[in-house]
Amino acid sequence: MSTIPQLELYRMIDEARSRGERVVVATVAHTRGSTPQRRGAKMLFFADGRTAGTVGGGCIEAEVWAEARETLRTGRAALHRFSLTADEASEEGMVCGGTMEIFIDVWDGKAVTGDR
Amino acid sequence: MNDAGDAPAARPADGPSQNNPSALAGAIAEVLRGGAVAALATLVESPHGVGAKMLVRTDGSRSGSLGDDALDESVAARAVVFLSARDEASTHRVGEFAPALGGWSAARVLFERVEPEPHVVVCGAGHVGAALARLARSLGYRVTLIDDRADFVTRGRFPDAGLALVAAADGWARAVRETVGAGRGVSVAVVTRGHNEDEECLRAVLEARPDYVGMIGSRRRTNIVLERLRESGVGEEFLRAVRAPVGLDIGAVTPEEVALSILAEIVAQRRGGSCAPLSSWRRL
Repeated sequence: MSTIPQLELYRMIDEARSRGERVVVATVAHTRGSTPQRRGAKMLFFADGRTAGTVGGGCIEAEVWAEARETLRTGRAALHRFSLTADEASEEGMVCGGTMEIFIDVWDGKAVTGDR
Repeated sequence: MNDAGDAPAARPADGPSQNNPSALAGAIAEVLRGGAVAALATLVESPHGVGAKMLVRTDGSRSGSLGDDALDESVAARAVVFLSARDEASTHRVGEFAPALGGWSAARVLFERVEPEPHVVVCGAGHVGAALARLARSLGYRVTLIDDRADFVTRGRFPDAGLALVAAADGWARAVRETVGAGRGVSVAVVTRGHNEDEECLRAVLEARPDYVGMIGSRRRTNIVLERLRESGVGEEFLRAVRAPVGLDIGAVTPEEVALSILAEIVAQRRGGSCAPLSSWRRL
């Protein structure tokens, strides 16, 4: 899926939240080396299974997907590190070979700071 | 591979109005709709829990909080530095920019640029204008296509509802001026059917000074237009900034290729590209 304009992205977050649904937002916070997406790229995960945007192709998508699903369940935001070392990348036939830090965040009705 | 630790959640929630994500999403939408720029700072690694957010506008005003007044002050100052660079997003350890905040030095803050997607304004809905509008849309840009011939800017020709169409019934000047607005984040490609129309469009953006202005035509014909503007007192600085003839030299022939050449120049202007082939470093 392609890049989503920011206004559209925050509109989607707001709409889900106004329906009382939790939204999980994955953001590429930091990259090193050759990675499939730029810093700041975002992917949204909705409670009903829909997604929007992308934080990178096949290299890490399955893992981000799994973490995001878990975050939808627990509501606990965290920074996750994914390494795409040359060996791992070439074994799986992937083109990238860097590391990515992805912040998997929760937007729901609760206060952002503090315990959740 | 994935070594995210459990984030300790120790810190009690601050005032709900300050850290209400709804209010923050609203503040972000307001920035985007107003064509302004801001930085969204998020605590992504911290001994006190993560996810707190603060929006910092270019004038220094803020919404939300990272949960500590001193931290907010330092992050707001760093956000202004972040916004002055071209980065879309970057992550910094608090110790890097606020060594005095001992308790936070290991925490990390993600800064993200909040900015509307570029607005490409295409003056002229002929073959090149139509191809340029469609191509710019496919890049995810906001696009407005203007023509003074109402039957050239119909939904029949451009069914993409995301492409704004303007029939310049009262002449080019007003339609162009209203569409370009304050000019920030706006790229204007002047590709009308004639050089009198091109000149009207250029005059209409004199004050707004968009990020990018280009005019199509041969060197000779575009020079005639620029010379007429110069004779009528238009400043050198503006004239020098006009990309005329518009686009990069990729040998474009068809309208679609010309559109690509224009859009490539717009991307390079926005991202700071050199326009040189990436392979030019090679020695073999």
